[in-house]
Amino acid sequence: MAELLLDSDIRIWVFLPIVLITFLVGIIRHYVATLMTSEKTVEIQQIKDSQALIRSRMLRENGKFLPRASFEMRKHYFNNKDDGYFATQKREPVVKNPMTDPTMMADMMKGNVTNVIPMIVIGGWINWAFSGFLTTKVPFPLTLRFKPMLQRGVELSALDASWVSSASWYFLNVFGLRSMYNLILGQDNAADQTRMMQDQMTGAAMGMPPDPSKAFKAEWEALEISSHKWALEQIEDELVNKNDPLLENVRAQRNRNL
Amino acid sequence: LSKDSNVLHFYFSEARDRLKQIREEQSRSSREVVDIWEQFLSYFSDKLGNDVWPVYEQVCIAACDCGEISLAHRCVRELNRQFPKSFRVKGLEGMVLEANQRYDTAEHLYKTILQDDPTNSVAEKRLVVIYKSQNKIKEAITELRKYLDSHMADTDSWLELSDLYLSQMDYAHAAFCLEELILANPHYHLFHQRYAEIRYTQGGTENLLEARAYFSQAIKLNPNNIRALYGLFLCASNLATKQRSAESKNMKYAAWAAEQISQLYRKLGGRGTKSSSDSTEQIKALGGMFDKLQLTSS
Repeated sequence: MAELLLDSDIRIWVFLPIVLITFLVGIIRHYVATLMTSEKTVEIQQIKDSQALIRSRMLRENGKFLPRASFEMRKHYFNNKDDGYFATQKREPVVKNPMTDPTMMADMMKGNVTNVIPMIVIGGWINWAFSGFLTTKVPFPLTLRFKPMLQRGVELSALDASWVSSASWYFLNVFGLRSMYNLILGQDNAADQTRMMQDQMTGAAMGMPPDPSKAFKAEWEALEISSHKWALEQIEDELVNKNDPLLENVRAQRNRNL
Repeated sequence: LSKDSNVLHFYFSEARDRLKQIREEQSRSSREVVDIWEQFLSYFSDKLGNDVWPVYEQVCIAACDCGEISLAHRCVRELNRQFPKSFRVKGLEGMVLEANQRYDTAEHLYKTILQDDPTNSVAEKRLVVIYKSQNKIKEAITELRKYLDSHMADTDSWLELSDLYLSQMDYAHAAFCLEELILANPHYHLFHQRYAEIRYTQGGTENLLEARAYFSQAIKLNPNNIRALYGLFLCASNLATKQRSAESKNMKYAAWAAEQISQLYRKLGGRGTKSSSDSTEQIKALGGMFDKLQLTSS
């Protein structure tokens, strides 16, 4: 097959513009997103619930360092049938229906506006304006399986797989500019689309606030079965006998006799 | 000229990085911060770009610390111009008022912040500080308890509350706060030691027994904790006088603690060469003291 030569105008008018456009769009998206994010308000009740859960977990894990009375007192505070924190606090489930809650609707809208719509619009525009070009060639041979990935929009079966078409070059840029954004905009920037996609992949349930009454029930059960065993019961003897020369002698003698 | 500007730029970045380092380490080098700002960096504030806002905040707090009220006012004014509605700036404003000893105005300001944003923990903590600096310990305790009711995993506040209770000689409540700290941080010897001291101060056989255990735990966690060693010695010898026949172990514990203490002193005395005679005398005096204590106890 004859060697392909690309027109140098392609470099100036297709290859570089695509890089520039994707990069600038990312920067603009970052600033639009920072303008549009609304601060999440937290209810004081939510803080209290989560902190109570943390404290109860600490009690279960490290309760052995407290005297028995203190441990039981705290356990009573959380688990007492009549007025214990976990037993009496009834929270209505906070699982809001996103369709009825206007703030959540707005948040979803903003997410769409800043992430999905530019991607569709710019992608479509690039496809329309720059379709059908080969822009560059990767400097190593590739197998045929890479053809749909690297040569979108150029369906030529005879073409070597290492050539990259303009539409594919755009996608490579979208996902490859991440470290550039990190460098320029800082660590947690909103320009990064791959992160948004990861969020979508890890499951829709992640953003949902956990239902506190369920968490309370679980914590109540865990605390109920945890019993107190004082870790400091024999601490003095341990300490004193640790490096007691007399005891060492006794031990050594016993070892000799054995 | 270009050489001069290079040197200036070097000093500028040096000053900026030092401030940033102080900010990140949260060390309280207030005088240094104020000096860097007043003598150098304030002339180049526009060169800092967007980094100037955290610097203003830092300088403002440091200025309050050093009593440079006018400088603090200037910082707050700049911040207010940039972030007119920010609670954080309002909190700073309150701190400047506090530094100026206008407690009533500051209190009012914090209360309005809390009305708008009940979760603002900075304002709530500042209220406690206002009461404390006016020596209204009772109010400070009530306020801090209100805060801890919703932020019960905030260990620093528990520590503060225990200090407040101790200043009121309310040992039972102080002990409760220390228990929270032990729960959150069970491998830190000073909390155990503090708790044991409180229990020891409360007195009574039951409390002394527990104090003995917690002193021992503190020693186990840090064998060089001389205060805990003394505490263990006192506990054990005290208990030995109380239950003469029941527990002979107490004498053993006391002797062990005394031995450890004198060993530690001997080690330290060996380290400093010039005052070795002093330290041997001290050790002798120490031994005499222990003997006396044990004589009275046995």
